[in-house]
Amino acid sequence: MNVQSLDRAFTALADPGRRAMVERLSRGPANVKHLAELGRMRLPSALKHLRVLEDGGLVVSQKAGRTRTYSMAPGAFDAIRAWVRQREAAMNDAFDRLEKVIEADEANEPRP
Amino acid sequence: MSTAEIHHATFVIERVFQTSPERAFRYWSDRALKERWNACHPDWNVLEDGFDFRVGGVEAKLWRTADGKVQTFTAHYLDIAAPYRIVYAFEMSLGGQRVSASLATVELRGDGPQTLMKYTEQIAFFGTRAALDARTEGTGSGFDRLASLIDAKPGAAD
Repeated sequence: MNVQSLDRAFTALADPGRRAMVERLSRGPANVKHLAELGRMRLPSALKHLRVLEDGGLVVSQKAGRTRTYSMAPGAFDAIRAWVRQREAAMNDAFDRLEKVIEADEANEPRP
Repeated sequence: MSTAEIHHATFVIERVFQTSPERAFRYWSDRALKERWNACHPDWNVLEDGFDFRVGGVEAKLWRTADGKVQTFTAHYLDIAAPYRIVYAFEMSLGGQRVSASLATVELRGDGPQTLMKYTEQIAFFGTRAALDARTEGTGSGFDRLASLIDAKPGAAD
């Protein structure tokens, strides 16, 4: 993830109204009207906030007829997260073994 | 996520060893000592195993995993300042597809009778979810293994 898209994601989340929308969308898709009512805001205002969330890569929208439905963006960063977790876990395992090997060697051959 | 995408991430691991930086360094520089902690998959078949620890040297490993896929790890040592610093670049591939390229920095600092080690890995990732899933099958993380050990032996730690 580059710095700009990270900035946009954080900017998108730096507002309690938009966080409430994300919380709602985490439970499932919703249309603009529903999201506006939830945040007690007018439709244009809700649309503005949703655009910020969309720019931040957090939500996606689909238009069917006259209604636009929003949902959470599919896990774009799942793969990199999974890989970093695997790398971290593998290195932590390796360093656990390194620690044990050093301990055993120091016990057998203590420093003067 | 398409293969055209690249993502970057960094992680840091810090450890304290009960030894001097000079001795800790040997576990990175000496092939036999490194093997004692770095070899992690007894069920994998080693096809190639090169280790040339010097600036410009290459450490190249090629395995066949338990499920028959070829996995590579190729590292190039960029900077070595014994016993305090090792910097290397490495790639990893799974089943013929490169998953990531990283820059790893190992720092060793003496602190009385101890050595503080800081490992920093900066990753450029271009793998796919499918490639990752292929690797995850049959390996599992250390935490999973730990959890299964704890589950299997209640009270073993007493």
